[in-house]
Amino acid sequence: MALFAKDKPETAPSAAVRTDHETAFFGAKLSIKGKVSGSGNLIVMGKLEGEFDLNGELVIAPPAVLNGEIKAVNVTVSGNVTGNLTAREKIHLEKSAVVNGRLNTPRLSMVDGASFNGDIEMKKPAEAALASKRSAQK
Amino acid sequence: MAKDAPSGTTSLVSRPVFVEGEISGEENLHVDGRVRGAIRLTGDLFVGASGVVDAEIDARNIVIQGAVTGKVVARRQLEVQPSGRFNGECTAASYEIREGAVFEGVSRMLSSKSQADKPPAPPPDKPRTPPPDPAVPKK
Repeated sequence: MALFAKDKPETAPSAAVRTDHETAFFGAKLSIKGKVSGSGNLIVMGKLEGEFDLNGELVIAPPAVLNGEIKAVNVTVSGNVTGNLTAREKIHLEKSAVVNGRLNTPRLSMVDGASFNGDIEMKKPAEAALASKRSAQK
Repeated sequence: MAKDAPSGTTSLVSRPVFVEGEISGEENLHVDGRVRGAIRLTGDLFVGASGVVDAEIDARNIVIQGAVTGKVVARRQLEVQPSGRFNGECTAASYEIREGAVFEGVSRMLSSKSQADKPPAPPPDKPRTPPPDPAVPKK
């Protein structure tokens, strides 16, 4: 019963409901200045000024406004981002995405309507691995 | 006022996430991970059992199951649950410290010094109701 007591916003969410969630969530009315790091997945709808360094999937959903350096394994953008985006695997820009800055990713996809101003650097993971192997052999 | 409005969403800093800096907003926040810096919320702060917060905090209600260190203001209530540890300086309108909880530091009541953010009360020396003026004709 208590699990569905949605009409009581005053009560703090019980630990039982929350402990299984490993996807962090920053709501639209939250703003963060500083650095967010760690692993796990993250959905951002708020404002961030600073740095994301995440060993997981990052979803930047509207009305998010991000300003800074962003690193993750996978990044999906449908919000507003200014700065450098680095993904170890993949970046995806949705229709409502507005990105100003530099993308650094081995794989990229963009939906018609997405706005992007800046540079793209694509290094295949295999190439990067080969390059490091070669330099190691020398 | 926004102070009493139920803030709908609850943001979550999950267990493997570490936030360093300032978090502010008109929401509730649930921390299972780590936060260092400052937290300013119009809503409630809930620090789960795995949560570690080392920050200056200003929130409406604060519930602690994990560990909190710092200077804290709970505009309504601070609650330290049995697994919770609080270390620092706290100002709150009301306290609930459960058996087994750790509370080390200073606690102050908000009511004595909260006049700044509340509408000023009428001065106690003036009578609340003006004396009836005989010059005003009654309707």
